[in-house]
Amino acid sequence: MSAAVIDGKAFAASVRGQIANHVARLKGENGLTPGLAVILVGEDPASEVYVAAKHKQTVEVGMASFEHRLPADVPEADLFALIDQLNADPTVHGILCQFPVPDHLKERDVVARIDPAKDVDGLSVVNAGLLASGETGLVSCTPLGCLMLLRDQLGSMSGKEAVVIGRSNLFGKPMGQLLLQENCTVTIAHSRTADLADVCRRADILVAAVGRAEMVKGDWIKPGATVIDVGITRIPHPEKPGKTKLLGDVAYAEAVEVARAVTPVPGGVGPMTIACLLANTLTACCRAHGLEAPKGLTA
Amino acid sequence: MSFDPKDPRLLRGAPVRQRILDDVAGYVAKRGNIGRLVSISIGDIPEVAVYIRNQARVAEAVHLPFEQENWPADITQDACKARLQAMNDDPGVLGVILQRPVPDHINVRSLQSAIHPLKDVEGMNPASIGNILYNDVALAPCTAAAAVELVRETGLTMEGLEVVVVGHSEIVGKPVAMMLMAEGATVTVCHHMTRSVAMHSRRADVVVVAVGKAHLIGADMIKPGAVVIDIGINQTDDGIVGDVDTGAVLDLAGWVTPVPGGVGPVTVAILMRNAIVAHQRQVAAGWLS
Repeated sequence: MSAAVIDGKAFAASVRGQIANHVARLKGENGLTPGLAVILVGEDPASEVYVAAKHKQTVEVGMASFEHRLPADVPEADLFALIDQLNADPTVHGILCQFPVPDHLKERDVVARIDPAKDVDGLSVVNAGLLASGETGLVSCTPLGCLMLLRDQLGSMSGKEAVVIGRSNLFGKPMGQLLLQENCTVTIAHSRTADLADVCRRADILVAAVGRAEMVKGDWIKPGATVIDVGITRIPHPEKPGKTKLLGDVAYAEAVEVARAVTPVPGGVGPMTIACLLANTLTACCRAHGLEAPKGLTA
Repeated sequence: MSFDPKDPRLLRGAPVRQRILDDVAGYVAKRGNIGRLVSISIGDIPEVAVYIRNQARVAEAVHLPFEQENWPADITQDACKARLQAMNDDPGVLGVILQRPVPDHINVRSLQSAIHPLKDVEGMNPASIGNILYNDVALAPCTAAAAVELVRETGLTMEGLEVVVVGHSEIVGKPVAMMLMAEGATVTVCHHMTRSVAMHSRRADVVVVAVGKAHLIGADMIKPGAVVIDIGINQTDDGIVGDVDTGAVLDLAGWVTPVPGGVGPVTVAILMRNAIVAHQRQVAAGWLS
């Protein structure tokens, strides 16, 4: 048996296509252009790459993209003043501060400063709480992306056994909440879990997000399971000296022999994250104007 | 099945409650006037009156001023919000308790969001729930926190413990799961769509049940030696019983909370402890000196 490869790149493109259609409709019917503001503090090279990718895709779906660059030694008060200004700006529907930020800034305080209705990363305690309370908020992008992939693969997930490995605030916990909302029976496993392999073996849906290369072996996977691999570890390329290679948390070659469907790394979950950032910006724009948020693009 | 009320395996709420209340009373005695708790009920709902009497009695025992407000049944949502806003701004109000149920025209979740997180002694504001998700569990919904307190009472090490929570409600099941996970347990949440609850509960070191179905959990669903925390309260012809068949499970389990007398008595003590946490946070935020 060989599993289906879940093509996140193609699926993300189709999601962006849907978003572009909605944006065109909002412009035509309501005279609205959803706007995403990205704040970059300092000059982290990886962050530069992310911010450039976000900008490009934001513009491609027809949204307004606002970039704000601040020096690495920017005082907290100045950053907060910018966030306050963006919170009040009616052309800005989503605000994202690219992390990591320099040490003198606290990520949690930065996120808390952003209006929860514009917190398109879905990281504020208010949005986390709204999700856990089963209420309307904005959902963190990577878990939302995984949810969309799973819905596309499985349709209804009701009654399925789901195991999430990793209990991070950024991913594991919101993912667990989303799967509970879908009426899965959910286990969140982590580094303290007694017999991780055994826990994984009962999963119809297995979501791995720990950042340990190929930790999940083929014999940890229940035959026929759907496997979502969120981990990314960069290693020296085994064949090409000087090059690097990306590995997921799942031993992919083994998993495809057992699972029904698996996300590859790269090209699985990764591309969904920015697509969901755009989806959240669209959703935030609709809500800000009392319009119904498009279906299928939120939790 | 009936059981001996003196069975040592019964995990009783009373001593836990007393310990918490002693701590609270000590804090109040030391700090003097820390403001008042305000209980709000909307309309006349008999079961709410029972809760309020109970809370008022406990507050009095720890010398926390407890004010009861009863708002008319036809009050508007906006008027409720305005009144809550005034309480947020009133430094004499330590914490606000919004009694449930409320009349149908009132959106209770929206009102809970209107109570400032620093005065949210019931832990129901989305920001309070979000803090629990992010491992800041000091101010949690009272019933969930009471269940966790009783698990702690067993003295078991939480790390690596297999926990099964039956019921995924927003105010009990989910916060209990998050709180125990924060302490290192591996938590599985089961609910009405779970194919086999028994498959999960039988392997659990700790089973927490909050579904509201009398005697749902019997002896065949429990691992020998397990901790069984029963949050259900069900009115039956035999009186009030929990979601667990206590008598049947008692022979097998290591610890079982009785109903009544288990989680319930701890819940109101947690409310008082939350009031102290709220005070500490208001001081830390510079609201009070």
